[in-house]
Amino acid sequence: MTVILEAEGVSKIYGKGENSILAVDDVSLSVRRNEMLLIMGPSGSGKTTLLSIMGCILHPTSGEVRIEGKAVTGLHEDALPDIRKQYFGFVFQAFNLFPSLRAVENVELVLRLKKTDKTGIRAEALELLKKVGLGKRSHFYPADMSGGEKQRVAFARALAGDPPIIMADEPTANLDSRTGQDVLKLLRDMSEESHKGIVIVSHDPKAEALAHRVVFLEDGRIRS
Amino acid sequence: MLWLALKTLIHEKGRMVITLTGIIFSTVLTLTQVSMYLGMMGNATAVIRHVNADIWVMSKNVQNFDFANPFPEDRINRVRSSADVVWADRLILTWGFLKLAGGGQEQVQIIGFNPDTGVGAPWEMVSGKPADVKGGRYFIIDKTAEKRLGGLTLGTLWELNENRFKLVGLSQGVKSFTTAPVLFMAYNEVHNVLSGLVRQNQTSYIVAKLKDRARMQEVVAGLRNSMKNNDVLTTEEFVNKTVYYWTVQTGMGMGFFLTAILGLIVGGAIVGQTVYANTMEHLREYGTLKALGARNSDIYSVIFSQVAISAVAGFAAGSVIILFLRGGIEKAGVSLYLSPVIFGSIFCVILVTCLLSAFFSIRKVRTLDPVTVFRT
Ligand SMILES: Nc1ncnc2c1ncn2[C@@H]1O[C@H](COP(=O)(O)OP(=O)(O)O)[C@@H](O)[C@H]1O
Ligand SMILES: [Mg+2]
Repeated sequence: MTVILEAEGVSKIYGKGENSILAVDDVSLSVRRNEMLLIMGPSGSGKTTLLSIMGCILHPTSGEVRIEGKAVTGLHEDALPDIRKQYFGFVFQAFNLFPSLRAVENVELVLRLKKTDKTGIRAEALELLKKVGLGKRSHFYPADMSGGEKQRVAFARALAGDPPIIMADEPTANLDSRTGQDVLKLLRDMSEESHKGIVIVSHDPKAEALAHRVVFLEDGRIRS
Repeated sequence: MLWLALKTLIHEKGRMVITLTGIIFSTVLTLTQVSMYLGMMGNATAVIRHVNADIWVMSKNVQNFDFANPFPEDRINRVRSSADVVWADRLILTWGFLKLAGGGQEQVQIIGFNPDTGVGAPWEMVSGKPADVKGGRYFIIDKTAEKRLGGLTLGTLWELNENRFKLVGLSQGVKSFTTAPVLFMAYNEVHNVLSGLVRQNQTSYIVAKLKDRARMQEVVAGLRNSMKNNDVLTTEEFVNKTVYYWTVQTGMGMGFFLTAILGLIVGGAIVGQTVYANTMEHLREYGTLKALGARNSDIYSVIFSQVAISAVAGFAAGSVIILFLRGGIEKAGVSLYLSPVIFGSIFCVILVTCLLSAFFSIRKVRTLDPVTVFRT
């Protein structure tokens, strides 16, 4: 299995001086295609921080992040939006859908962001919603959808533009256990069918059963 | 990102209404102030602009058309002696009192012109013709005076400074800055009948037409040299001087200017406030956009598009309101000067104000850290 994303010796210190917090401490971790990697750990152990660093949203205090072997840590701030656009799909715990956009438009938005050619975008967004089982509810606004449906829209959005890596931070935390299970299965299938590298952060024991690989984070370090 | 801007605007109608109210308020206030000001300046310079002359000669230190001082009329010969002058004529401007049927009286502006040449005559007639004032106690008055003077029937006799004059014509569109009714009569009659106002052999203005407007500056310089006791101005200079007088020396322009600026500030504040509240409310979405790979400029374009769309819609609505009210305002005696150039310029001012008002929102977005999207 090919490694697509690697973190090598990354650390993150928030704040300065006496109040500084070492949130991630010398972590090395790689993400492979066709794999669903699960990061577990107690609250405050640095999971979200690590995910943000690996997702090129947050700069590490030290260490290096490489995508397909190329270091991105040394790149200028301005280069990061394009890297995120090209390589990542994100799923957030609170869904972060746009309330003034319909389900299909939420997906369309990311396609518009990623593509220069705008033809066929609507059809593509509908196709993605069908893939996550929301073909019939594509014209609903987020306010009129259940938590599980919103999270599915968020998945469809993360898949838009077919990024090789999907990162999900506690994707089941706001869902009931049945829906959570469905959503996790969906993620696992995505990793196997479309050769994506999938990283999820979760406390959910069901996730542990479904993941291909699990790492535990404790006080910012990987427990071995 | 115009797409996202439109979708969000349409979805949030309540906020859109507040934003539009602010812009409409600014538009209406600014447009009325500017068009009223220009309307007044148009009235103040109406006669100067319509007398088809290139050069105006007047007594020293005349500040504006309405406040003329008499000087010897035979100085016209010096103007005529210039080889560059095609024609020169005299024009009297003075003030009198017209007795009303009801017993009161109304102050009127009197223009005495030469009915043989028609220089200084009313430029648009509703009934009668300018030459009808020739050879007797006849006068023409502007139709807009009807409200002040009562019914204006041709052939009726009116008492002007205790002399009876016959109304022989009605003009249209002749207004003065002071809003006093403007009355026209023959140049000679002013001297013959109203000698208490302007003494024999005196005039208020000498106007002249040049053969070649390109030689304007030389001719004016020459006349200034030979007529040391008079001011010699080009038509443009006299228009500007009159406008300057009413605008700056009376402080009136400042009043209009301040009201217009106030309208812009209040409108801009309303728009800035709603745009900022809107941005704060959508901060999470903008953070999400950043995390998904949008650049700051993408998000700026969302905010600026929303502001620009609101500015266009609000300005259009404000303009329609002005055009709708225009008839009523002008009936009340206030002239509004509106033209495509004015609409265009005010639109630019409104648009810039709205875009500037989004400044704080833009700053907020620039410093927004996309990491926040992972926090719940
Ligand atoms: N922006 C921040 N500023 C300061 N401290 C932070 C910030 N974000 C997270 N932390 C701290 O870093 C540690 C790790 O946080 P986080 O990565 O959110 O952990 P987890 O996702 O595992 O709960 C915590 O102690 C948290 O309080
Ligand atoms: Mg977390």
